[in-house]
Amino acid sequence: MPLTLESLDVLQGEPDWLGERRRGALATYERLPNPSKTDEEWRRTDISGLNTAQFSELEHKNGSRLDVSSLPRGVILEPLRVAAEKHAQLVEPLLFSLIKSDRDRFTALHAAFFTGGTFLYVPDGVEIKEPIVAQHASHAGGTAFLPHTLIVAGRGARFHYLDEYIGQDDEPAAYRSGSAEIFVGEGAEVGYVAVQKWGRNAWHFGDQRARLGKDSKLRLFSVTLGGRFSKTRVEGSLVGQGADAELKSIYLASGKQFFDFHTLQDHQVGNTRSDLLFKGALQDTARTVYAGLIRIEKGAARSDAYQANRNLVLSDHAKATSIPMLEIDNNDVRCTHGATVGPVDPQQMFYLRSRGIPEQTAKRMLVQGFFGDVLDRIPFDHARSLIEAELEKRLG
Amino acid sequence: MATVPKQIDVGTDYKEKYGFFVPEDYIFKAKRGLNPEIVKEISFMKKEPEWMLNMRLKSLEIFRKKPMPTWGADLSVIDFENIFYYLKASDKQSTSWEDLPPDIKKTYDRLGVPEAERKFLAGVSAQYESEVVYHSLHEELSKKGVIFTDTDSALRDHPELFKEYFGTIIPPGDNKFAALNTAVWSGGSFIYVPKGVRVDIPLQAYFRINAENMGQFERTLIICDEGSFVHYIEGCTAPIYTTDSLHSAVVEIIVKTDARCRYTTIQNWSTNVFNLVTKRALAYQDATMEWVDGNLGSQITMKYPSVYLMEPGAKGDVLSVAFAGKGQHQDAGGKMIHVAPNTTSTITSKSISKGGGRTSYRGHIKMYPGANNSKSFVKCDALLLDDESRSDTYPYNDVDAENVTLGHEATVSKVSDEQLFYLMSRGITRSEAETMIVNGFIEPFTKELPLEYAVELNRLIQLEMEGSVG
Repeated sequence: MPLTLESLDVLQGEPDWLGERRRGALATYERLPNPSKTDEEWRRTDISGLNTAQFSELEHKNGSRLDVSSLPRGVILEPLRVAAEKHAQLVEPLLFSLIKSDRDRFTALHAAFFTGGTFLYVPDGVEIKEPIVAQHASHAGGTAFLPHTLIVAGRGARFHYLDEYIGQDDEPAAYRSGSAEIFVGEGAEVGYVAVQKWGRNAWHFGDQRARLGKDSKLRLFSVTLGGRFSKTRVEGSLVGQGADAELKSIYLASGKQFFDFHTLQDHQVGNTRSDLLFKGALQDTARTVYAGLIRIEKGAARSDAYQANRNLVLSDHAKATSIPMLEIDNNDVRCTHGATVGPVDPQQMFYLRSRGIPEQTAKRMLVQGFFGDVLDRIPFDHARSLIEAELEKRLG
Repeated sequence: MATVPKQIDVGTDYKEKYGFFVPEDYIFKAKRGLNPEIVKEISFMKKEPEWMLNMRLKSLEIFRKKPMPTWGADLSVIDFENIFYYLKASDKQSTSWEDLPPDIKKTYDRLGVPEAERKFLAGVSAQYESEVVYHSLHEELSKKGVIFTDTDSALRDHPELFKEYFGTIIPPGDNKFAALNTAVWSGGSFIYVPKGVRVDIPLQAYFRINAENMGQFERTLIICDEGSFVHYIEGCTAPIYTTDSLHSAVVEIIVKTDARCRYTTIQNWSTNVFNLVTKRALAYQDATMEWVDGNLGSQITMKYPSVYLMEPGAKGDVLSVAFAGKGQHQDAGGKMIHVAPNTTSTITSKSISKGGGRTSYRGHIKMYPGANNSKSFVKCDALLLDDESRSDTYPYNDVDAENVTLGHEATVSKVSDEQLFYLMSRGITRSEAETMIVNGFIEPFTKELPLEYAVELNRLIQLEMEGSVG
C-alpha cells in the first residue's frame, strides 16, 4: 500500500493552505519519475533497491520530542503542524521556500507527507543560552517518517539548535527524511547541528538548507552515521553582504552503508564568506560519494570560499568518490577547494604499533585524530559531547 | 551554465596580430555536407583500401546515431551539413621548402617555420588544409628506422602497422566526434619509433585551417615501441573567418614497455573555430605518457587528453593551460584511467579568463578494481582577470581500487594587488605588470616547451593581454 491521497487523511486539523500544499506536492511526487543514472547528481547513487510504495504508515503525526527548559519571551517553539495553524502568517511564506518540493521525487514526498518536526522562531535581538534539542526517534521499521524543521532567526538573534534523528539498527527497512530550512536574519548568529543515526536498514533523504542575511553567521554541523542509504544535501545561500557560513560535516560509514553528500555554497552577493569541510572515514565495504559546488555569482565580489572533502579509507574494499566543483563568475574572489582519498598513513600506523599499541586501537586513535580538527568546530558543547560519545561507541 | 555567446568579435586587428589570411586556392574541394557519397568520394580520392572505406562508412552511421553531448559547452550551433569535409590544397606533396606554393610559404614565414627548421628541427610536416603538403625528414631518423609521415601516406606505405593500431585506442564508437573523425579523417601525423630508439629532437607539425566553413579532421597515430622516446609538437594557427568552422581531430598513442612519449600542443585556432578533439594514450609497463596541452584560440574547445594506465608502473601526466578571451569557452582538462596496480598520474591545469571568457577544468580520475596502490594528484589554478569572466572546475574522481591515494586541489583568484603594486611601484605600467604576472602564472607550462614555442607563447599572451586593463 503506497502513500496516497488517502494517507493524507490521517493528518487532520491542519489549515487549508497546508493541505493544499501537501496535495500539490503529492501530485508532483506522482508526476516525477525516479531520478535516472543519466542525471549527474544521481549517476553514482543507486536507488534501484528502494520501493517507496513499501512504506505507507506515517510515524509521529504530531511532532517530535523537544527538550528545552524555559524560553525567552517571544520565542515560538512548536511542532511544525501546530505552528502552521497557530502562526500561519510566519510559517506559510517560508515553509518549503528554500527546499522546493518539485526539486526531485524525494523532496516532493517529503513536502507531501512531513509529519514530525519543529518550528522555531526567535525574534529580533533575542538570545537563547541553552541549546534547543529536538529528538526525532523512530519507533518501528517499515514506516515512513519525515520530520521537517523550520528555523527563523530574527535580526541579531543568537541560539543553538540540535536535530537528532534516532533509530534502531535492528529495525526493518524504513523510509526516513529529515530536513531543515534555516533563515538567518541580519546580524543573527545560529549554530545548527544535525546528527543522523537512523537504524542501519533505513533509507534516508535529507536536505539542510540555509539562507543567510546581511552580516549573519551560521555554523552548521552535520553528522551522518546511520542508514543503509543516506543522501544528504547541505546548501547555504549567502544573500546579504557580510554573511558567513561555516558548513562542516563528519561521516563514518561501515558495513554496507552508502552515503551520498551534495553541497552548495551559493554566494549571491559580495563580501561573503563560506567555509566547508566534510570529513569521512570508511570501513568494510562502505561507499561514499561527495559532490560539492561553490558558486560565485556575477556581482559577488570579494567573496571568500573554501571547500574541502577528506576521506580516510580504512579498508581495502571501501570506496570514496569525491567531486569538488567550482563555478566562479567574478574575479575579485578567493576560492580554494581540495579533496583527498587515501588510506591510513603507514608511517603513523608503524609509529603507534612500534609502541605496542594493538592495530585496532591504533586505527581508532588515527581516526579520532583525523576527525579532531573538525570536531573542534561543533558550535556548542552539548552537541560535541553527544557526537564524541557516539563516535567512541561506533569506533570501539 | 552560462550560454556561450554566438556573436564573437575578435577584433579587426587579427590580421595585423597574426597575419594569417591567405586567399583560397584548392585543387579539389568536396561538396558541403555529410553523407555516404561524400565519404566514398573522400576514400576514392585517397585511393584507400576497402577496409578503410568500410570503417569510414560504419563510423558515419555511428556518428548519425550518437546524440550530441548535453554537458560542457553549447554545441547546438554547429551545422554539420554546412561544412566541407575534404579539401586538397595542392596535387602533390612537396619535399623541400622551395617547392611549396608561394602563398602557403608566406603564411609559414610568418609563423617562423623555416627559421625553426634552420635551427634544429628534424622534420616539419606542415599541414595546409586537409593534407600534408610539406614534409621533410631528417636522414638520421630514417636510418634509425623512425617513421614520421602524414597519416594518408602511412596507410599507403605501412599498411600492416597501420591496420594493427588504427582505431584501436579510440574506436569510432567512443564518442560522436571520434565517429565523425573516423568517417571523414584526412591528414595528420603518423609516427613509429622502433624499440630502444630515442628521438632527441622534437618532431613537429603545423596545422592550419584556411577555408571558410571548412572542417579539419586530422588523425594522428603515434606508436612508441619498447624503451623508445619521442617528443611530438603540434601547433595550430588559423585566420579568422565570419562563419563557424569545425575542427575535430583524433590522436591515438601507444606507449609500450619502458617507453616515454611527450605530446605538446599549442592550439591557437581563430575564435570562430569549434575545437572538439579526442586524445588518448595507452601506457604499458613502466611507460610514461605526457600531454602538454595549451589552448589559447578557438571559440569553443572541448578537449580532455587521457592516459589509460594499462600495466604496473605506468605513469601519466597532463599539463594543461587554457586562455579564454571574449566569446571564448575553453572546456579542457584531462583524464587518467588507472587499470593496473602501482600506477601514478598527475594533472596540472592552469587557466586564465579575461574579457568575459570562460575556462572550465573538467577532469576524470578513474581507478578500476585491481588498480591497487595507485596514486593520482590533480592541481587546478585559475586566474580571473576581470569581473566579467568565469572559471569552473569539474573534477570527477571515481575510486574502485584498494589502498589508493588521490588528491585534488584548486584555487581561483585574481591578479594579486600586492604583486601589481610591487611591479607598478617600479615604474612598470599596469598592463605590462599584468602580462608579467600572467606569464609567471603559466610558467610551469612554458618551461616545458622548446624555446621557440615558449617565446611564441609568451608573445601570444602578450598580444592577448594588450588592452586588457580597463
